[in-house]
Amino acid sequence: MTTKKNKLLKRFALMFLMLLGTYLQAQEKNVSGTVTSSEDGISIPGVNILLKGTSTGTSTDFDGVFNIQVPGKDAVLQFSYMGYVTKEVVVGENSNLSVVLQVDENELEEIVVIGYGTVKKSDVSGSVSSVKAAELTAYPTLSAEQALQGRAAGVSVQSNNGGEPGAPIKVRIRGGTSINASSDALIVVDGFVGASMPAPEDIASMEVLKDASATAIYGSRGSNGVIMVTTKKGTSTKPTLELNTSYSVQNVNNTIDLLDANEFATYRKAYSANYNQGPANTDWQDLIYATGSISNTQLAFSGGSETSKYYISGNYYTQDGVVMNSNLERFTVLSNIDIDVTDNFKVGLNVFGGRSAKDGVSTQAQTGGTGGGDVISSAYRFAPDLGIYNADGTYTINSLGDDIDNPYALAKESIDERSVDTYRTNFYAAYEIIEGLELKTTFGFSSVNTQIGKFKPTTLLAGAGVGGEATLENRRSTNVLSENYLTYKKTFGNHNFTLLGGYSYQKNKNEGSFAGARSFVTNEVSFRNLEGGAVTMQPSSFLDETELISVFGRVNYEYASKYIFTFTARRDGSSNFSKNNKYAFFPSGAIAWNMGNENFLKDSNVISNWKWRASYGATGNPSISPYETLAKFSSVYGVVGDQQVNSVVLTDFANDNLKWETSKQLDLGVDVALFNNRLELTFDYYNIQTEDLLFPRPLPEYSGVSSQIQNIGELKNEGYEFSLNSRNIANEDFTWSTAFNFSTNKNEMVTLPDGDDLFIDSAPGHFLQRQTQVLREGESVGSFYGYEYKGVYQGGTLPDGTATLSSDSAPGGELFADLNNDGEITTADRKIIGDPTPDFTMGLNNDFRYKNFDMNLFFQASVGGEILNYTLLELGSGVSNASADMVNAWSTTNTDTNIPRPEVREKRITSRYVYDGSYVRLKNLSFGYNIPVTVLSKLSLEKARIYISGQNLLTFTDYPGADPEANYRNDNNQRSNTNVGLDYGSYPNVKTFTMGLNLKF
Amino acid sequence: MKTMKKYKITFFLALLAFVGCSDLEENPVGILAPESFFKTTADLQAAVNGSFAGMSTESYWGRKLTLTLLLRGDLADIGDQGTSGRRKEVNDFTMGDDNGMVSAFWPQSYAIIGTANQAISNAGLINDDEAKVNAVVAQAYFARAFTYYHLVRLFGDIPYIDFAVSDAADIAEISKTPENEVYEGIISDLEFAKQWLPDTQGSRALPSKATAAAYLASVYLTIADYSKAAAEAQFVINNESRFDLALESDFQDLFNADKTGGLREPLFTIDYVGQTRVDSYGQDYVAPVTGIRGDATHEYGEGWSVAVPSLKVYQNWDGKDYRKAVSLDTTATTKEGVIYPYTQFEDYSDAAVNRPHIAKYYRYAGLAGNNGRESSHNYITMRYAEVFLIAAEALNEVNGGSSEAVAYVNKLRERARMGSGSLYPMDVQDGLSQDALRETIINERAIELAFEFKRWYDIKRLKLGNEAFGPNGLEPQSNFDASRDYLLPLPGPELVRNPNLLPNNTGY
Repeated sequence: MTTKKNKLLKRFALMFLMLLGTYLQAQEKNVSGTVTSSEDGISIPGVNILLKGTSTGTSTDFDGVFNIQVPGKDAVLQFSYMGYVTKEVVVGENSNLSVVLQVDENELEEIVVIGYGTVKKSDVSGSVSSVKAAELTAYPTLSAEQALQGRAAGVSVQSNNGGEPGAPIKVRIRGGTSINASSDALIVVDGFVGASMPAPEDIASMEVLKDASATAIYGSRGSNGVIMVTTKKGTSTKPTLELNTSYSVQNVNNTIDLLDANEFATYRKAYSANYNQGPANTDWQDLIYATGSISNTQLAFSGGSETSKYYISGNYYTQDGVVMNSNLERFTVLSNIDIDVTDNFKVGLNVFGGRSAKDGVSTQAQTGGTGGGDVISSAYRFAPDLGIYNADGTYTINSLGDDIDNPYALAKESIDERSVDTYRTNFYAAYEIIEGLELKTTFGFSSVNTQIGKFKPTTLLAGAGVGGEATLENRRSTNVLSENYLTYKKTFGNHNFTLLGGYSYQKNKNEGSFAGARSFVTNEVSFRNLEGGAVTMQPSSFLDETELISVFGRVNYEYASKYIFTFTARRDGSSNFSKNNKYAFFPSGAIAWNMGNENFLKDSNVISNWKWRASYGATGNPSISPYETLAKFSSVYGVVGDQQVNSVVLTDFANDNLKWETSKQLDLGVDVALFNNRLELTFDYYNIQTEDLLFPRPLPEYSGVSSQIQNIGELKNEGYEFSLNSRNIANEDFTWSTAFNFSTNKNEMVTLPDGDDLFIDSAPGHFLQRQTQVLREGESVGSFYGYEYKGVYQGGTLPDGTATLSSDSAPGGELFADLNNDGEITTADRKIIGDPTPDFTMGLNNDFRYKNFDMNLFFQASVGGEILNYTLLELGSGVSNASADMVNAWSTTNTDTNIPRPEVREKRITSRYVYDGSYVRLKNLSFGYNIPVTVLSKLSLEKARIYISGQNLLTFTDYPGADPEANYRNDNNQRSNTNVGLDYGSYPNVKTFTMGLNLKF
Repeated sequence: MKTMKKYKITFFLALLAFVGCSDLEENPVGILAPESFFKTTADLQAAVNGSFAGMSTESYWGRKLTLTLLLRGDLADIGDQGTSGRRKEVNDFTMGDDNGMVSAFWPQSYAIIGTANQAISNAGLINDDEAKVNAVVAQAYFARAFTYYHLVRLFGDIPYIDFAVSDAADIAEISKTPENEVYEGIISDLEFAKQWLPDTQGSRALPSKATAAAYLASVYLTIADYSKAAAEAQFVINNESRFDLALESDFQDLFNADKTGGLREPLFTIDYVGQTRVDSYGQDYVAPVTGIRGDATHEYGEGWSVAVPSLKVYQNWDGKDYRKAVSLDTTATTKEGVIYPYTQFEDYSDAAVNRPHIAKYYRYAGLAGNNGRESSHNYITMRYAEVFLIAAEALNEVNGGSSEAVAYVNKLRERARMGSGSLYPMDVQDGLSQDALRETIINERAIELAFEFKRWYDIKRLKLGNEAFGPNGLEPQSNFDASRDYLLPLPGPELVRNPNLLPNNTGY
């Protein structure tokens, strides 16, 4: 291998030097030794070693070994290496030195990636959080977004679907600044705007840009914050091979206690006299849940020459989910090549490609009516007194409520495959025209191809009457991005300027097609043989295009490392905007004062750094879909005389004045570092006012069109963020560091058109419930709306201020607050019955290292958010199995209870099913061991670490649902901010145990 | 240095190449803008078809409207007591302003009207012969009248919009239009339709001149303008060959999905193609909600026993009338092929009920999805037989005991005998009093048009509620309140959005 050859070469060179040295200065002393890192005990190659007071020096070799001639025992050697504290060692009598370099925790000189450039951390004037590679790979996650959870103040991360393999992850930076438009942060990977996220192992750093000063450079796409992802690059000339591999075992975190067959029979007989108990006793959850596993391996090569560097990595991830028949397989390849063509001309190429193939089971059913229902909610709903099969071998159908397949049949028979191929290439060239003036041009292309194939065989309800149903859907989304910008850096004395100006053009194209067929001879062909279906379904296809043209600029001015000013602006023109509002302008400004660099603090022993920051600016959210501002007819399926005919219906009114949303954000912050940077504190206050909110305003239904996108009203997000990084103990043998972050976010509807309430429908379709949440001035977005449950009606006079529904007025029925005191419960008696917004969220991370052992303990918490649990609501409705506490339902002999008499009831939204969703969770616990350098060198290894870890091992919560990290109807942009704190049929969350190995050659 | 220059040139060329230019105009493919859509009569027909397609949705004729009409009347009661509360509320007269049936078919009604209004208001854009354009746009007038006619009977005073809305703000604050004015609008639409529609159409799913006249007759009957009702009905009857109308010889054929496409009796149908739908369009559940739980007679499987007649409906019906056998299923089949009577239905399913079930939709659903959904039915919303009944009823009101009226009723009875030589159902004899003949005709309507979504409107029109739902009625309902229940509540949220629609109907 190259490494060996190099080693030999280097050794030969060293010997030569030694000989030479001996010849020249025979009386001098020869000192040799190794340099290792305090962090992990691994040797550090390339450490500069200088004989103090001279220009004589050397550097460590690939094994961290050095050899130098010194004048005598009083000689002082200076060891310096980037990222480590420079250390001076008096040679003394030793001729063999073992030098340990301390990691420099003073990260102020760290480089922070911002839009279209980088900046020293000390010069940052906006609010930016950095997350390091080690945090992103602390435990196995499919996506880097997921790994962000609990790592940065003001960044909330939650899976949209529990522990589902490949579940979408929702990231919110400083809350949702929109109601209906997407509040997903903009993701920029190595400068490519809107890229898909690479595998966590390939990421060198992630910067979260939070305030307007940092995000305004992305203009109309900046208001949700920006996540800047930098992938790993070749750093040294030494060829390096890294292998990271782990294997995990997963189990369902929690199940819901339900009635067993006998309890269920008793329950049903209470309201359905002629009910006959079924033949079985089935625990459906137990039946469909299994032990899952994850296997994740990454292999990365990096290296290069003085003028060109490479990083090539491949990643393979497979997961078997904890629900039967759900799994995911993904591989990605990433390659970064950077070439210095000349001293002032650089080019580079980033290439990313990958495929993920998901074989899923249905969850979070949008509607669970006849033949609908998903695997998870069906496992809760389905009658426990039925088995998997009927006597004739067919699958059982639920014996109450809507006809649904049993969950085992659904999971086993239904086919739902989704494969996504992603390809991205981004080329850049940078040319330093004169000193300090650089022109950079990038050209990138990305393509995401998705194929979704589904099959419902005749063994399931949805396929039974139609001879099986197969559908195949293909979608392609391509993005072309061309950006060109000039950066000019100039220093006059204490004045430092950085000027940036540029132009950007981006075109996005989405297209797709759908085909389907029914009535197949066999269930064997799945969706791979559509022509085998005798009945074809209506095919469809679509195309939409979006263009974005932008100019942007930034001025940074810094004086004497004390005063920093930043002004940023961007003007975006988008084809999606309405005809009267095609161009949008977004300015921002920031000031920062490095008070710690003032004379009165400069020499303080306590305060190492103290920086005040303030910024204000406007950013946008452009989430207007293509053609959304136009009036539209849509083609629909229509039949005349048993023949399909061209049919169109009116679906949308035009809106010529529709605009982007604008967020005006104020940020006040302070960064403090104490005790030689051992304790770092950051505190931010922010206030985001979002105007011209995009909202599909429900129109009067008699208009014939259900809703229209309009700019309505104003929303406020306000919060505090606090983070602390502390190196509590930092000895050579033992280190203990703590990172803690705490965030609050309060959102509030400030104004709505005419001050009217606007309602949101989120209940599963078969509930047939509208208006489940309300937008009301002065209240949180997504506040639950419904009837206030007042316990069980005991008969006789109604308690004051309460009434029953006319359909449920017998004793044992539900009592509700009668808000208008008219003696009956109508829609006028609904009110806000819950707020899903947490009071605060926290992350607490502790890293311990003792010699070669390390341990990580990571807690994450969310407190004060409420959850509306549709699952439990359904379980109380009388048309499904019920939760175990139903045995305590009201009866003439059991009146002291909060659970009404068993009965079939409409699934009205009531406070009975709103719960506190607070939790504290041990997100990660891991133990690692670094194999000592002495052993490694024998194995030609540079680093080897083995570890075991566990995720979600402990959860502290009072929430009665399956998991407090609940979501429902949340992964589509239009609802991701309003449908918060809902729970229905989610894939269960998981406990994970992982074993892993990291090797570096 | 030469190399350097090359780099520079290449670099700047690359830069320029990608500095794209765009006017940011949107040029959508396949998305139809109303202002540019209407160019030919074919475009107009597509919008008209859109209105008719809107009727075939689950939220309208496919279930929500039809099941509401079935349950509200006295010929069908709730079967499976475990069925959704919204259905029980409709049936039991306990519904509130948030009822899930109303909240589905109310917006769908106006979606149908909205598309019809687009066709009507934009017809002027089409540069073609006026008669040709009018013949097409007249279908839209019919679609609008058809839809408002259902709405006004169900709700009374309603928002009435008869123009293409381009901005919802224009109608955000309108008030309800009084019932009589809505009827005036419906009549005027049907008059236009009657004037311009052709005598016959290629399909009964498109309205003809006779369809418009028949609906005019029905509207006049509803508002008790009997002479006009009689005149319109007789206009149809007297021109039956011109309109290609006849009573089908076999009553069963009217409810056989494989046959309805070729019949001469229908005046308007809402068509479905078996096993085919796109989203809610083309989705129907009428067979499942009326079919028998636990029954394995049909390939498409069991029904759900939601809307099941009370036993009294069966018992009061003369067993010698062929129409009873067509209208009701009294037996079911086990998976093993054993036939069992309705008295044992509950033995085969907990959700079943021991009563004969409606057979008109479940028995011959043609090619259909599971439970008979996505059937092949062409639902007949108006058939020639009803025109005879309208004529008979109207003539009796104008001229008590009219022998012409008797003759019309007897045409249906004769057909019911199917030339079998049977004496039953027996002809109605001349010489009945006006009241007696009225009762005979109304009962004939209940039998002839049983479960065809007409009975509730008859109960409402003739204020038969206290009788029908009283202790001796077909379906005793203690909650029935004549001061409240002849009208449904407008959806509560609609009144919140536009308080000018307040107050809701009495009692809600």
